[in-house]
Amino acid sequence: MSNPKIGVYICHCGVNIAGTVDVQAVARQAATLPGVVVARDYKYTCSDPGQEMIRQDIAALGLDRVVVAACSPRMHEPTFRRTLEAAGLNPYFLEMANIREQCSWVHPKEPETTRKAQELVAAAVQRVALHQPLHPRGVPIEPAALVVGGGIAGIQAALDIADAGYQVYLVEREPTIGGKMAQLDKTFPTLDCST
Amino acid sequence: MMDAGRHPRIELLTLSEVVDVQGYVGNFQVRVRRQPRYVIEDLCTGCGLCVEACVWKNRVPSKFEAGMGMRNAAYIPFAQAVPLKAVIDPQSCLWLVKGKCGKKCQQACERGAIDFEMREEFLDLKVGTVILATGYDLTDDPSLERYGYGVYDNVIDGLQFERLCSAAGPTGGQILTKDGRVPEAIAFLHCIASRDDEAHEYCSRICCMYATKQAHLAQEKTGGRVYQFYIDMRTAGKGYEEFYKRVQKEGVDYIRGKVAEIEQEDGRLLVRAEDTLLGRMVEVPVDMVVLCTAARPAKGSKELAQLFNISVDKDGFFAEAHPKLAPVSTHTGGIFLAGCCQSPKDIPDTVAQASAAAARALVLLSQGTVEIEPTTAWVIEERCSGCGECTLACPYSAIELVEGKARVNEALCKGCGTCAAACLAKAIVAQHFTDEELVAEVLAIMRRELEYA
Repeated sequence: MSNPKIGVYICHCGVNIAGTVDVQAVARQAATLPGVVVARDYKYTCSDPGQEMIRQDIAALGLDRVVVAACSPRMHEPTFRRTLEAAGLNPYFLEMANIREQCSWVHPKEPETTRKAQELVAAAVQRVALHQPLHPRGVPIEPAALVVGGGIAGIQAALDIADAGYQVYLVEREPTIGGKMAQLDKTFPTLDCST
Repeated sequence: MMDAGRHPRIELLTLSEVVDVQGYVGNFQVRVRRQPRYVIEDLCTGCGLCVEACVWKNRVPSKFEAGMGMRNAAYIPFAQAVPLKAVIDPQSCLWLVKGKCGKKCQQACERGAIDFEMREEFLDLKVGTVILATGYDLTDDPSLERYGYGVYDNVIDGLQFERLCSAAGPTGGQILTKDGRVPEAIAFLHCIASRDDEAHEYCSRICCMYATKQAHLAQEKTGGRVYQFYIDMRTAGKGYEEFYKRVQKEGVDYIRGKVAEIEQEDGRLLVRAEDTLLGRMVEVPVDMVVLCTAARPAKGSKELAQLFNISVDKDGFFAEAHPKLAPVSTHTGGIFLAGCCQSPKDIPDTVAQASAAAARALVLLSQGTVEIEPTTAWVIEERCSGCGECTLACPYSAIELVEGKARVNEALCKGCGTCAAACLAKAIVAQHFTDEELVAEVLAIMRRELEYA
């Protein structure tokens, strides 16, 4: 990517990040990085208005790459990929910098926290410029389910899936289904029978 | 149970265990080993003639009766068993063990359903999704000996007491001591090996309530004294607290204190504990002690977790993907959890979780296709020498050599990058995590470090 147009969004996550990281300083620093067109900080970037801000920037400024510095990508990478997709960008033009689990939550105080957040953001900016568009592939699903264990849990799950119209294989190692519940006499608190 | 047995879309595979799992979300290939029943299910009517004819009578402790009753070598597990078919136990059948028996069962069967030539068989199933519902076992830890479990005749566990209460049980629903007496007093001991740092730290969650229910039944059936030794009563659940109060009013004696020891004296059991509310030692003579033993993951759970490539928690229960937001999912796509295999829980919660797991499975099945993450490994064929290092390195068996070149199965590939690191010819690219991208990241950090220096 020769001339990327990158938007960088620093999330406060309430006080989870902003409590120990100078988020404005991180945004100011990000704005000076090569390729960065806009850098903002926001209270909850994953909220609807937060995502709307990104979508508007993509439309108004012609962004083609986005960095979100926030929580772990395990948490909100899917969220922001959808944001990019809704704005017409390939969802894999996103990079997340984890400045919560890997920074604000694990380091005690400034200035180390702010400095590390700035480094993580700089790294993400460098990396996002190199991202290639990727496209998920659809694989057909075998229309059948396996349920392992024929106690009350397995029986209930098997019935629900079978009632919905799918084939179910209910595997039980004993000679009969029923499990522990079949051994019970009456059940609390209503004292009704279990079999 | 009946509904599951006769549902046209449920295939019941009893005496069966999963022995191999291949594939990925939407496309699992599962191998199931089916032990021989020695009874042809299609012919057996469950009439029980073979059971009556079996010469090895009442010689085998019945698992269904939790060891409180005996069964024959040919048996029907219980009256409402599904499928209602006889089974011949290869561990105790004289013909199968020693080859010495008149095979009376075979002669008795009017439909010729008994087949001693039956062998184990393997079935290969193709399924899109899996629900694990393997339940729990009550602990039989040797430490239970200090409460007299396995030592004194009339120290039993909750499931054994359950069988004594059952009209279909070994005593016909009468609560009797081993020597056939109606007990004058029974003590229930809560938190045995649960909430115990030396055994299981967790609360087994079902015991307070089932012990309370059993106390009610005990009082109703025996008219004797019933004591409950508890640490804390936990009755969170709809109608639970009300039930607890009702049983208290019925006269069941709740004593707050953990039992220190049990001794047998003159045919009775002496239960010693500190009543922590009154601050004094109590000694109660009873005729039966019921231990509310810890619920722990069912035998074989660990091996099953390995087969399905899911994790277990510190106590060995199957680990959910997220304790609050994904309580029935696992970290492996397409595999869901229901019931006590995830953690001990009561029947209402189990049923609710099972329906939740079914709903998650149905979300997948109804979509018809599943999206595969494109962040997978990618082979530059011109550079690949076909050495096969990557196929050995891949932890997911996602790479094979096809016509001398590595080929990645994108559906199996998790994008971990092990192959890219292993490839000597740099012929594999981990998409979205290319060397260029990672080096750019590192350089950015180092450049800033230099600025600070």
